[in-house]
Amino acid sequence: MKKAIALLLLAALIMVPAFAGGSKEPKAPENPTVLRVLLSEEPTSGDAFTSTLNKWAEETGNTVDLMVIPYDDQLTKFPLMARNNDLPDLIATTRLTRLYPDEFIDMTDQIDISIFEPQALMIIGQDYTTNQNLCLPYQFTITNVFYNKDAFEKAGIEAPTPDDPWTLEELRANAQILQEKGGVKYGMAMDDSRARYDNMMYMYGGSMVQKAGDSFAVAINSPETIAALTEFIEWNNSVMPKAIWAGGTTDNPADYFQNGDVGIYFSGSWNYNMFYQNIDSFEWGIMPSPVGPAGRSAILGGSGLAVPKNASNSALAIEFIKWFYENPENFSYFLSLDKGLSSIIGVTYTPDDPKVAADYEILQTEVANTSELFNVDESSSWRNYYDNEYRDALHQAVNGDMSAEEALTEFAEMLSRKSGWEMLY
Amino acid sequence: MAASSMKMHKITHTAAFWGFVAPSVVLFTIFFLIPLVLSIAFSFTNFDGWKTMDFVGLANFAELFRDKNFYGALGRTFVYTLFSLPFKVIIPLLIAALLCSDRVRFKSFSRTLVYIPVLLSSLVVGITINWMFSAEYGLVNFLITSAGGKALDWALNPYLATFVISFASNWASTGFYMIIFIGGIKSISNDIYEAASIDGCTSKQTFLKITIPMLAPTTFLAVLLATVNLLKEYALVQGITQGGPGIKTVFIIQYIFDKGFNSMQYGYASAISFIVMIIFALIAYVQFRFSNNGGEN
Repeated sequence: MKKAIALLLLAALIMVPAFAGGSKEPKAPENPTVLRVLLSEEPTSGDAFTSTLNKWAEETGNTVDLMVIPYDDQLTKFPLMARNNDLPDLIATTRLTRLYPDEFIDMTDQIDISIFEPQALMIIGQDYTTNQNLCLPYQFTITNVFYNKDAFEKAGIEAPTPDDPWTLEELRANAQILQEKGGVKYGMAMDDSRARYDNMMYMYGGSMVQKAGDSFAVAINSPETIAALTEFIEWNNSVMPKAIWAGGTTDNPADYFQNGDVGIYFSGSWNYNMFYQNIDSFEWGIMPSPVGPAGRSAILGGSGLAVPKNASNSALAIEFIKWFYENPENFSYFLSLDKGLSSIIGVTYTPDDPKVAADYEILQTEVANTSELFNVDESSSWRNYYDNEYRDALHQAVNGDMSAEEALTEFAEMLSRKSGWEMLY
Repeated sequence: MAASSMKMHKITHTAAFWGFVAPSVVLFTIFFLIPLVLSIAFSFTNFDGWKTMDFVGLANFAELFRDKNFYGALGRTFVYTLFSLPFKVIIPLLIAALLCSDRVRFKSFSRTLVYIPVLLSSLVVGITINWMFSAEYGLVNFLITSAGGKALDWALNPYLATFVISFASNWASTGFYMIIFIGGIKSISNDIYEAASIDGCTSKQTFLKITIPMLAPTTFLAVLLATVNLLKEYALVQGITQGGPGIKTVFIIQYIFDKGFNSMQYGYASAISFIVMIIFALIAYVQFRFSNNGGEN
């Protein structure tokens, strides 16, 4: 008897890990009314897209199941989800359709594509080689410059206007004055994002690549880009919180601006709503982007909606997409909460608050500043070869580990080796 | 009959042995051996984590030995380990000795207090440390400036940034090594301490001449574990400096992670992992030999 009990215990001991590791969790019964949506960040109270999803759920009787995986983590999680047949029905993404195009439904056949702003469709879809539309733009953003009105007033500086924007020299000089007289710790700050710095590169006439017949040539170490980075390093050493761009901190410069520690803040329209809700200790606004030796620059971007081919409820996701985009009232509802640019032709919203209306007008004028150099860079999809390495190179240059020329030339050589594109300089 | 009984007895023993060992073998195989074999296999391919996986021979290794960033990350990892290791071992040893002393009160409470950071996730440790050492809004700089001093560039000076990571790592692990040392101290016979007391040894002499030599196997274990953990430091770096300033705090595991998961070069990352695994195993072997087989001889 003892032996039998011992053997049973032994068998149980062996089987426990087998069951623990090997068994699958029971799958919930398939319910066609549940839409599983993957977002990139935890929605805050009043979040535009989540509110729109909830409105749809309320109107249609469906329910929404939200999952949150940050954009960077989506890159590693998505392949695992695809392998395990555990894909969400709808994904809010910036890069997945570019990296895994075979896994998504071409929306060209599902919805009238002509309703979208062509630029939004191109920039967010990031597909320059086929006629497919795997990713439909919903959050259409643009880089812009915020400023602390109180600090400007204190320093005796008048903000620039779209008709009379500052040059880069004026910008730096005024940032210095703000730092000295405006009651702010830093004259200006910029998100630790390659795209924010790239605006400066385009203002100088530099670019990542240049067209070379049907292909491209690497141009990131051109005299123009070296000059732009050299000036940027100077900014960091004098009027910017250097730790952000030296890469040694996890601090977010948006917090610095919200705390009133920064006079001029280079970021993007996606922060507008957050600032509008949170900042009440000082007056702030949007000013036009400055003019560089080669002109002005703004970078369009944003996030799109995509439906995986193997999602269990892809039909429901498409049903939502039609509801969202094809009914102007629903998209306007989203825009009114998002306070961003519209990605649908003819659908817009009119802000009630005169301050928002004035800022919105400046944001719209920035769209015209999108540089052709940016479009060429985007069409090369150079980021498929290297991305973080470019930011690391910029960090090292700002930190003083290497000169602007060394950092850019080293990166140019890497990109050239990996892509097979020739180096122009 | 006796032979048959003997044979049955042997079979039962063998079955019991495998029965007890099997769960570990299964788990070890699933979570260590299979990933290890896969990783070695991937290192000879250009696997991108998705659909591309062609055999590339030794190309990844050839690229690795030319990669100056690999040497940089490895070098920084060694320097960081050498810098942090003494603190990782000596501080818990001293705390353990203190908390085993008869002269100290509230021992259980103090041990619990020292152990609490071990229970925190690296993310929470990172947030706490950032709150303390943030250049702009950090507590430490606030205290320094309040006392009339000049705020320190925790995020811009590579030495200070490395110190902050090391400080966080030590804070988060002191309790763990303290428990190991307390176990070691408790296993030393009281007779030896009584004899020393009768011979007129001072506390200092007792600690240096009895406790430390008798703790040799425990110290070896602590040194080995601390070395391996320091060489593998990742989460804290990510949470505190993200490798900056520049790339001055990019250690080898972060480099592997970046190549694998951010740059989608799984094959190359596997090749680095393979070489790094050999280097780490060699370090452990050397430590083992230098400590007379972990204090066994």
